[in-house]
Order: sequence, then C-alpha cells, then structure tokens
Amino acid sequence: MESLTSWIANSAANDLALALLSNVPGSPPILQTIHLLSIVAIMASALMIDLRILGLAVPSQDIHEMAGRLRFWALGGVIGVFSSGIWFVLARPNRYFNNPVFQIKFALLLPALLCSYWIFRMAVRNPNFFGTHLWRARLLATVSLLLWVAVVLAGRWIAYSEYLFWPA
Amino acid sequence: MSDFWLWLEMLPLALEIGATWWFPFMESLHVLSLAIMLGAIVMLDLRVLGWAALRYSVSSLNRELVPWSAGAFLIANITGLAMFITRASNHVENPAFQIKMLLLLLAGINIGFFHFRVLRSVGAWDIQSPAPLAARAAAASSLLLWVGVTLAGRWIGHVI
Repeated sequence: MESLTSWIANSAANDLALALLSNVPGSPPILQTIHLLSIVAIMASALMIDLRILGLAVPSQDIHEMAGRLRFWALGGVIGVFSSGIWFVLARPNRYFNNPVFQIKFALLLPALLCSYWIFRMAVRNPNFFGTHLWRARLLATVSLLLWVAVVLAGRWIAYSEYLFWPA
Repeated sequence: MSDFWLWLEMLPLALEIGATWWFPFMESLHVLSLAIMLGAIVMLDLRVLGWAALRYSVSSLNRELVPWSAGAFLIANITGLAMFITRASNHVENPAFQIKMLLLLLAGINIGFFHFRVLRSVGAWDIQSPAPLAARAAAASSLLLWVGVTLAGRWIGHVI
C-alpha cells in the first residue's frame, strides 16, 4: 500500500488530477455531484431490487423484469462513482490510502458489488429463482442492502475520520 | 433577522452538533436520504416521460414510490436543518445555499403542480398512451431541478 501510494504520488496522473482540481473552477463540487448522482443510480437499482426481494418496496414490479431494466443503471452508477471519485484519490493518495475510513469503505464496497452482481445475474437468468430460493435470496438482499448503506455512510465519514480514529 | 440566525447558532443543540461527531453523522444520513429520495423521484419521472418501465402504470409507480421519496425527504430536511443551525448566519449569506433554497422551492411547486393538477387526469394516460405535455414538462423540470439542488447543495461547502 505504501509503494502504491508513493507510485501514484509521483505519477503523471497525480499531476493531472491536481491540475484539474485546483485549476478548473468548480471542478471539485461538479465531480462530487456526479459522484452523488451516480450513488443515486446505484441506490435506485441495486438497493431498490434488494428492497423488492425483501418485499419492502414496489410490490407490483416483477423481479426478473426489474433486473433486466435496472442492471444498466447499476452498471452506469458504478462507472460513474469510480470515474468521478478517482480524481480525488489520484490528487491526494496519502490522504485516502492512509485513512482508515477509506479502507473500510473499500472493504465494504467489494462484497457489496459482488452481492449485487450475483443478485442481478440470477434475477436476469432465471425468472423463477426468487420463487424457488426465496430465503437464500432474502438473506443475500439483506447483506447487499446493509453493505450499500454502510458504503454510502462511510464515504461521507472519510473527511471526518478523526472523530472515529484518533489520532488520525 | 441576523440576530435570529446568530441565536440559532448559539443554541446548545447547534453548538453540540457543530463540535462533535453529530455533524458528519447528520451529513452522511443526508446523503443516504437524498440518494433514496432522488432514486424514487427519477424512476417516476422517467416513467412519466415515457423513457422507462412502460409496462407499469403511472399510478401504481406513483403509489409505490412516493412513500419512499416523501419519507426520505423528511429525513433529508431534519438532517439538513441540523447542519444548517450550526452555521445559520453564514449559510443564509452563502450564494450556493440561497440558490439551493430557491431551486428547492421551485421543485416543491413543481411537485404540487404534478400531484394536484397533472395527476388528476392520470386515468386517461395511466398506461399504453403517452403522458400529456404538462406531465412530461413537470417530469423533465423535476429531473433538472433536483440535479440543480444536488449541485448547489454540494457547492455550499466550497464557498468560503
């Protein structure tokens, strides 16, 4: 991790990201808004299908149909959060890689992505999966839901890690 | 009026939120609630525009999504107010905050127009026929206004 941090800090990508964020007026809030709206896309697709599987939201919608319609929004949201968030990491790698909340966020993000990928894959491939494997699907949807909520909450706490881990 | 904003900042509750982990806690809940709220709003808007989920009726989506957007809007308001009172006098003079409040007001008027005027005739365009121009205009305005609210809201913290 130390070598990755210093490699980024000495790379051309670091210079580019710093130039973008400090020289282009309004670029930080605009990138952060793209990040937020991409989170919206993930919440309205991955989280909404979790809520549907759990029977908590949109009961009239069909899970198989939802998955086919929403997977592109989920994928777009994931591409959106990465492409808007990476500039901040490239510009200040030390600030992020040494931040325990950032590490927690990514440790939660990976299983969240895997859970949602699996849910979408099963729902698209097998229209009856959630009829025959209801409790397994509900367990996975619960895990996915909690992970995504934790990722979103952790993201905002990166800037406040000293409240949780002192000294940061 | 400026005395009122300063009085808000000096409330024991405002001082407590501003000086402790309550502030990031409120901020992270604000992000979560806005994501759920906008998710529900965007789904309904895209359906009314005729761009997505055409197999479901507008009224069933409206019935199933509005409780989520309304509930999340309530939480966004409570958490937003909790953050606002910690620096009330600064925020009221912050152009980004002023623009956000203006856009929120317009978005609220748009919601009222959609629900109390446009949606009355939903029986005629609930499914299998395109929504009238007024409905599509309200849905498109909603998308633009909420993107604007999000951008202005995120900009508040960048105005020194």
